Amino acid sequence: MVALAVLVLLPTVFLASFPIVYFDEVRYEVFENPLVGDENLRMIISVLLFSFKLSISAVIIDLVLGIPLAFLLARGRFPGKTLLETLVTLPLVIPTSGFGFASLLTWTTVSGIGGWLGLGRGILETSATIPGTGIPILMLIVHVSLTLPYVVRTLQAKLVELNPVYEDASRTLGATSLTTFRKILLPQILPAVFSGSVLAFARSLGETGATMVVSGVRITAAIAVVRWEFEFKLGAAAFLGLILVLITWLIILPVELLLTGKQGIIKPPPLIYKTGLEKVFLKLESKLSKRGLRNLLYVVCIFAVAILVVIPVIVVGESVVAYWYADPYTGKREGGVVYQLLGPPNYLPAILRATAISFTSAFVSTYISVFLSIPLAYIIERYRFGRVLRAILKIPLVVPSSALGLSTLLMWGPKFMGLITPGIWLIILTHIVFSVPVIVETIIAVYEGSDIKLYEDAARTLGANPYYTAEKISLPVLKEGIITGAILSFTHSLGETGATMIVMGSDIPISALVVNMVESLAIPAALFTSTYLIFISMALIFVFRLATRRK
Amino acid sequence: MPEVKLVNIVKRFGNITALRGINLTVENGEYVCILGPSGCGKTTLLRIIAGLLKPDEGQVYIDGEDVTHKPPEYRGVGFVFQSIALFPHMNSWENVLYGPTVKGLDKSISHRIAREIMRTLKTIDYSGLYPGELSGGIAQMIAIARALATGAKLLLLDEPLGALDPRIRVDLRYELRRIVKGLGLTAIHVTHNQEEALTIADRIVVMRSGMVEAYDTPENLYWHPKNLFVADFIGKVNVLEGFIKKALTGGKALVELTGGISIEVYAKGFSEGDKVVVAVRPENFEILDRSEADKPNLLRGVVTRARFMGDYYRYDVTLESGERVTVNTPLYRSEKIQVRKKGEPVLVRFDPEKALVYAYPKRGIERELSIEV
Repeated sequence: MVALAVLVLLPTVFLASFPIVYFDEVRYEVFENPLVGDENLRMIISVLLFSFKLSISAVIIDLVLGIPLAFLLARGRFPGKTLLETLVTLPLVIPTSGFGFASLLTWTTVSGIGGWLGLGRGILETSATIPGTGIPILMLIVHVSLTLPYVVRTLQAKLVELNPVYEDASRTLGATSLTTFRKILLPQILPAVFSGSVLAFARSLGETGATMVVSGVRITAAIAVVRWEFEFKLGAAAFLGLILVLITWLIILPVELLLTGKQGIIKPPPLIYKTGLEKVFLKLESKLSKRGLRNLLYVVCIFAVAILVVIPVIVVGESVVAYWYADPYTGKREGGVVYQLLGPPNYLPAILRATAISFTSAFVSTYISVFLSIPLAYIIERYRFGRVLRAILKIPLVVPSSALGLSTLLMWGPKFMGLITPGIWLIILTHIVFSVPVIVETIIAVYEGSDIKLYEDAARTLGANPYYTAEKISLPVLKEGIITGAILSFTHSLGETGATMIVMGSDIPISALVVNMVESLAIPAALFTSTYLIFISMALIFVFRLATRRK
Repeated sequence: MPEVKLVNIVKRFGNITALRGINLTVENGEYVCILGPSGCGKTTLLRIIAGLLKPDEGQVYIDGEDVTHKPPEYRGVGFVFQSIALFPHMNSWENVLYGPTVKGLDKSISHRIAREIMRTLKTIDYSGLYPGELSGGIAQMIAIARALATGAKLLLLDEPLGALDPRIRVDLRYELRRIVKGLGLTAIHVTHNQEEALTIADRIVVMRSGMVEAYDTPENLYWHPKNLFVADFIGKVNVLEGFIKKALTGGKALVELTGGISIEVYAKGFSEGDKVVVAVRPENFEILDRSEADKPNLLRGVVTRARFMGDYYRYDVTLESGERVTVNTPLYRSEKIQVRKKGEPVLVRFDPEKALVYAYPKRGIERELSIEV
């Protein structure tokens, strides 16, 4: 418990202490800077508004695409379903900076869709915005791909759990499939729609890795935290980080409480019925409920997943091949992958060192997290306050990672404890904060899906003592959950960028290296490293699929 | 007024063929039970009639119209589910009102329909309660009201009593028949409970492994089952093996059983030497004292188990041939005849007209009686 408090919970909230303890510094930087006045405060407000606009738009698109996809995955039976499921989930495990770079290539350069269409340039400018809203299109695209899995997975899980008999009943009572969706399914999945949206929103708000790569001039709040930390504007960074954490808390906690309520069904007010629009809706739904239209909707959604997820991965892989010896457009060897890795820029040693740092920190943090998570999962399942603990543990999962990184830096680093300076050890400590919740959640999922309590009771009646029971009965049953959680946390750790960039010091792991390469315009090297990172993660997922398949 | 006709319905799930060419006609106003062991395809068949599943081959006609490709919402059938499936986020009243509402009827009309049907089914008092607050029996009555409120004249019931307490199950089955007959509906009721089917159906479809084994009135199925499987499925039978020794006058024949004893049965269409099975229901056996040893169709044996079943005694008797039979003796007989004890030697007999005779099944008795084909 002490380890949990120090390693996981404290770093999450430590950020709050900084603006209080060093209030003068914050006031100096944010409110009363002698040079720029409250310029920083206005910056903070402006990036926050921008982040909100971006995240809310991303969530809306997520819902439009995600609801049909979740329905298709939960209820449909078709070949390639597992593939579609894997593709939708892929952005959860792909390192975000690599993925961001792949998206950048796909949309804005001639190597991507533009080149395929024969345009001779990218189909988008990095700075292109949706007219009238000021939301950069590319950033929105990246955020939708990265947050869509949260909406789809949450809804899919809920739909699978829902008995389809209600839909059958509604159909035999004369309701078309769309009417059934509006009147029967929607009220039952509304809590899942909320929690999926909240997760997606929080993820979008905190996204750093991919956003930094595609950001251009507009920066989001999460990036501002990283930038200001680099510029040693700790006060402003901490202040903004704290606001982000508070916002996340404010939206997560009510939803968590709402969802753990007993019924889990929200009864929407009968607005449509009351206003007499019911008949209009019924007619419309009956017209739209044609099979062909429904299938068209599914095809559009699948197509969107393909464009968002699959094409960037293909483009980046293809580009590495094209750029291998030389820049395919100028023909200069200086623009080739080989030159940049082995020639004077000599990125290879940096990549190798980064790989070593990434793997070491991912391995050590996962290893420690597993040992923390097993007793934690046990406590959560066995004690009444476990539910509270579980809700608190969700916070590191959704708090913007750059804010989290800043918090651990402030806590362990020179400003407070002075124990650890930025570097690999601090990376490990930071990664533990979000690895523990991931592993705990997977263990709990397995625990609740099995009859483990029954087996434990059986073992006890057969004369085994509690320790023997835990070792010989519980742990083997939970093994799958532990392995799954460990692999998830390992890949997450490998790809994490936001927090890592703040705490890494001079030990640059591979995910941060991609960002640096893009910022220093070493495109072929970035290409190679992104591909390398994406394929390592895909190999890990493959192993993970193999490990979880056998039942 | 609906009549349901199924023509050569085939349904496959992957490699498994759930229905292998079903042909069936349910007359207007009939109460038909589909009876069969679990996995025989009876629910699949019902879902195909409702339109919740599409057959791979064949056609479904309701009231003469080919509805094979019509979605369920336009078929005008009422479906009652085993799991009851009242919408959890609506109270009873809203559940019953759902059908008329989604059909786009005017508010006043749909309210009148819902009120009337709930009055008829005596459920109006529960209008304000949510499904979680209702007992199983009431909840199922409201689900039936909900199905009927759509104006359906064809009621499809999928194990409607399966999730209820045994006592309520029995009360509700007569209630179901009364409602269907009272409103002049056609009903198709799927069940695996043969007693339920026997007591409420006009006709029973017996299914096994995706095929119809028999389709007849309950009485005919009980007294003149078409084959050994049906005989055993509609009430149990004891099976004795033998061969036709000699044809007698009046449709009778002499059968020599394993163990050498000859008995008299009614058997048509067999010739001498044919291998046969003689099936006798436990309630058609009679236990006699040694003093009555002059009657025909006597078999000697020893009681190997005696059980009191409430309204009758059940004896397991091992015959001299080594075959074991079950004998049910109603209590009113037990007053005259003493209760038998384990190990007691007894004589069992049956009337020739109560024995069912079938040709010896080609694939053996055990396979013939198994629920798989």
